[in-house]
Amino acid sequence: MIQAFYLGWRYLAFHRFKTAILVTSITLIVFLPVGLRVLVNQSSQQLTSRAEATPLVIGAKGSPLELVLNTLYFRSEVPEPLDFAEVTALEATGLARAIPLYVRFRSRGWSIVGTTLDYFEFRRLRVVSGRQMTMLGECVLGSRVADDLAVGPGDHVVSSPESVFDLAGVYPLKMRVAGVLAHSDTADDDAIFVDLKTSWVIQGLGHGHQDLTRPEASSGVLRRDDTNVTANASVVQYTEITEDNADSFHFHGGLSRFPVTAVVVVPPDQKSSTILQGRYETVESLTQIVRPVTVMDELLETILTVQSFVVAGAVIVGLATLASASLVFLLSLRLRRREIETLFKIGGSRAAVGTVMVFEVIVVLLTSVVLAGGLTLLTREFGSAAIRAFMRM
Amino acid sequence: MSRSRWVVSLVVSSWLLLGGCASPDDPERPGPGEGNDGLTVYAVNYPLAYFGERIGGDGVEVVLPVPAGEDPAFWSPAPEQVEAFQHADLIVLNGAGYAKWVERVTLPTSKLVDTTGGVRDRLIGIESTVTHTHGPEGDHSHGETAFTTWLDPTLAVDQAWSIAFELSTRWPASVEGWQERIAEIEQDLSVLDASLQQVFSERRDEPLLGSHPVYQYLARRYALNLESVHFEPHEFPDDAAWAELEASLARHPARWMLWEGEPMAETRTRLEELGVTSVVFDPCGNRPDEGDLLSVMQSNVENVRRAFGSN
Repeated sequence: MIQAFYLGWRYLAFHRFKTAILVTSITLIVFLPVGLRVLVNQSSQQLTSRAEATPLVIGAKGSPLELVLNTLYFRSEVPEPLDFAEVTALEATGLARAIPLYVRFRSRGWSIVGTTLDYFEFRRLRVVSGRQMTMLGECVLGSRVADDLAVGPGDHVVSSPESVFDLAGVYPLKMRVAGVLAHSDTADDDAIFVDLKTSWVIQGLGHGHQDLTRPEASSGVLRRDDTNVTANASVVQYTEITEDNADSFHFHGGLSRFPVTAVVVVPPDQKSSTILQGRYETVESLTQIVRPVTVMDELLETILTVQSFVVAGAVIVGLATLASASLVFLLSLRLRRREIETLFKIGGSRAAVGTVMVFEVIVVLLTSVVLAGGLTLLTREFGSAAIRAFMRM
Repeated sequence: MSRSRWVVSLVVSSWLLLGGCASPDDPERPGPGEGNDGLTVYAVNYPLAYFGERIGGDGVEVVLPVPAGEDPAFWSPAPEQVEAFQHADLIVLNGAGYAKWVERVTLPTSKLVDTTGGVRDRLIGIESTVTHTHGPEGDHSHGETAFTTWLDPTLAVDQAWSIAFELSTRWPASVEGWQERIAEIEQDLSVLDASLQQVFSERRDEPLLGSHPVYQYLARRYALNLESVHFEPHEFPDDAAWAELEASLARHPARWMLWEGEPMAETRTRLEELGVTSVVFDPCGNRPDEGDLLSVMQSNVENVRRAFGSN
């Protein structure tokens, strides 16, 4: 028996190129459906867990999927805005805590998320370097943003213009980094958090400029009377909020009319949640209330259907590969006819020769399965991070 | 299944592979209210701190971080002081545009209490604010509401009640007995209101001057014929200010000027030459060196009574 194994092993070692191709093909075809399933399961678990951790979301009427993806993952199109008054009205009901989000602007490709400090408490986000934002114009960075931009507390990031062709648009705002959040392996790592009011300053709803009633601003004044000063285009507007100019920043109009893209709603109990959902689910309401977990479940159903097709395809390819591998083994038997005859002539029994052949097949298959298992374990540990790193290159 | 849904699914499937994976929650993340033994309430001015201290009793520590001698209405906190506000259990605001710095810092909205939020219809707009225009937004101004609301004791009662409501709703066990304490505050403010009514009723139609535009609520509550100038207690007014005052006196012949603090001796003398007696009526925006809100207000009443009596 040992001799038969030795002969089989020597054969595989001698034809190492052919063996390697066989092992690689079978490994990949075993690994692909299994690895894909592991990745999708991990991802959907994460999607569901973030959705489950977000009880309700209120937004303007429109696509619930767009609203949820924008609110939970800071991706997809920007939903239609709501008035901030919606947040205060919701708070006034006493039925839930309302956490506003304004996810519209970006800085070097990263989402700028305007919100309140309640968001950090709600998501249990912790500042590991620097401190929490305190002043208008400050921001805290998600860990991946800080790593990618190589910035930390005391550095600055600048908001990007929404369109390079918008020459009359608002000035980019230079924001001071107050702190960096601990790595959470969620979408929060990929965001730049600012105070809601700072996001309104980015939009131009609030700004700072020279005091037009003072003599040194006279060059920026077009007309002045007892009750009104009209500025000309040369009035200096600030693009960074500093200790020196912070007092000059102000907002135009009532904050209640200012925009937010969504409100994360955190009711204390199921009864309050049900009452709230009932209030918003009227035909004439211009807002919608969604349960992110429901929206994500619907999406995952679709994804799982797509995944089934992918897996089915992989299984078919696998069967084809196994058929090819069988053909390779059968053809190799024909090619090895003289070798087999020699084995018989030197006294090898039929069983011993068969053992050599079967051993070769078993070694190839076992090696492939073990390698596929190893790859699956690696995928479980590092798959998502590796793909993410690869895609960011 | 619609075609667009398939497309979204495919896009999201790809994204799922890119960024969806996560580790479980970090056990080191802090929870709400962690590290606090008792309740800590931050206030933006002394009257609110005073009400908070009396309503909260021993279960509540009330902090007013404004340094002595500074006007809380125009003070601005440093970032580390804002952090202290962020860690408070409750942040009591005056509203009515008081303490503009609140608009320029990041505070947790769920901890904010606007004590004049329920009485907005009783706030006084400032008509003489200069507006400015630039860009397409039209006219706008940077200050529009009178903010020394507590000088009207009936408004002060409402402010005290809003603090009592928040404390008793959020932490009923920590402020046990609050009903008696708010009743005492109401009673004290009612006595103060009666004293002010009585002292001002003696000279109701007499023209009065305010050294600063901070007495709007006092004037409305007691129907005072009061106009304001912009004199600082610790600065001798320049010639233009005196000329403006004299012009004002020509049409509004006031014999008394209410001051937020003791004016300079030269200013007092010059005013007396113009026939105007200086009367200190301290709004008590910051914590007094001695006494408390009620004792300061009582001494304001005495100052007015003495001044009115001597003329």
